[in-house]
Order: sequence, then structure tokens, then C-alpha cells
Amino acid sequence: MVQKFSLTVDSQLEHLSEIADFVELAARESGLDDNKIYEVQMAVDEACANVIEHAYHGRKDGTIDIGCERRGKEFVVTIQDFGERFDPKKVARPRTRDPLSKRNIGGLGLFFMHKMMDKVHFEFSPGSGNRLTMIKKIK
Amino acid sequence: MAMAQKEITVLTPQGRLDAAGARPLEAELKQYMAAGKIHLLIDLAGTRYISSNGLRALLAAQKQAKERGGALKLCCLSPRLVEIFEMSGFDRVFEIFDKREQAEESFE
Repeated sequence: MVQKFSLTVDSQLEHLSEIADFVELAARESGLDDNKIYEVQMAVDEACANVIEHAYHGRKDGTIDIGCERRGKEFVVTIQDFGERFDPKKVARPRTRDPLSKRNIGGLGLFFMHKMMDKVHFEFSPGSGNRLTMIKKIK
Repeated sequence: MAMAQKEITVLTPQGRLDAAGARPLEAELKQYMAAGKIHLLIDLAGTRYISSNGLRALLAAQKQAKERGGALKLCCLSPRLVEIFEMSGFDRVFEIFDKREQAEESFE
């Protein structure tokens, strides 16, 4: 039996902890261990904060649809928004070895998403907005 | 003559330092900085999660504190938080202590 989990929230930062709880439940039901649950939670948290801040520019009435499901040995998360296009190529990679004076503050969210997940894939279409798919291998 | 002791301001953020949780912390740090409190210790014992936004709030405060001759130091991180700091290289931006007493003593 394939179990699918979905959650729809408005684009408000206050919903991030509810999203984290949802991801925990879905990931646990799908057989992920504590460590992997934490990693997926972080990736989703960073992704949703990006959506709120960049796709919706802080607008509170945007929609975020989050879906989670297990496909074989993979846990698949999709995050759909209907805001402005997010182009990951335009985000500078953080320079994690730079000294304090040179550390810039951008790009860290995307950096963590890639660190925490096995695959991160962005799609955009003008009619349906941004669709992010992230995959975590379960075993 | 005894050396004047530095006044250390200790903050103990609780729960999640995600994009929502980082905002009140950021505001609090700005207030302290504006009031000239530049020796800051963040005790993270009650913080179970930190995101890039939380890290940014700490980084911004650290830059300001250093510019004024102070410092922002951290203590009592859970193993998961340590991992996040190491992964992002933020362990080299802050002095990090296991115990609060050690961190407090380090200001003197």
C-alpha cells in the first residue's frame, strides 16, 4: 500500500513548525529513522522558508502544497507554490570556509537542502509556478 | 587595581530557530547591541533546531559585536546543532563551548 501525505498551508513563516511536524509524521510512517527524519525536516523547512521569502516575497496569502510519499526505497517530497520563479542557478554558493569578515549571508538555505537530500530538482512553468522535488534514500 | 569585569549578556533561545523563530532573536540582539551590550553569550541548550535564518541572525550580530570590540559566543549545543555549525563552517565564526561556565569564564 502506498501512503501519500499532503498538507496545504498559507505562505506564512508561522506555519514552518506545523510543516516540520507534518514531515516528521509522514517520514516516520514511511519508515525513516530519526536521523533521516531530521535531515528531511531541515531540507523542507529551508525550502518552504525560501518559497515564503522569495517566491511570495513575504506575501501571506500564497499557497504552499507539500506532498510526501515513499516510492520503493526512496522518500519523495514535493513542494508546489504559485509565486514568482525561483532560479537556483542565480543563487550564489555560500563560501563556508571564508573568515567572518567575508562571509555573506545568501545561499545557505539551498546549500542545506542539497546537503540533507540525495536529489533536489526545481521545475517552473508559468501557469503552475515552482515545483520542487526532493528525494531521500531510505536505505 | 582590579580589572573591571565585562558585563556578559546571556540569551537562551528556546525551541526552533527557524525563519520565524530567528526574527525575535534578531530583534533582541539588535536591542542589546544598540544598548552597548557587546559581550553576548547565546546558551543554546533549549534550542532544538536552527535553520539558515537562525545562523544568519547570529552571524549579523557577531559581525556587529566584533566591530565594536565585543564578541558573540555560543554554548551548550546539541550534537545535531554542532553538526549544522560544522557543515556550514559556522563553527569557525563563533567560539563554541560545551558548558556555560566555560563560556562565561572565557570573556574575562
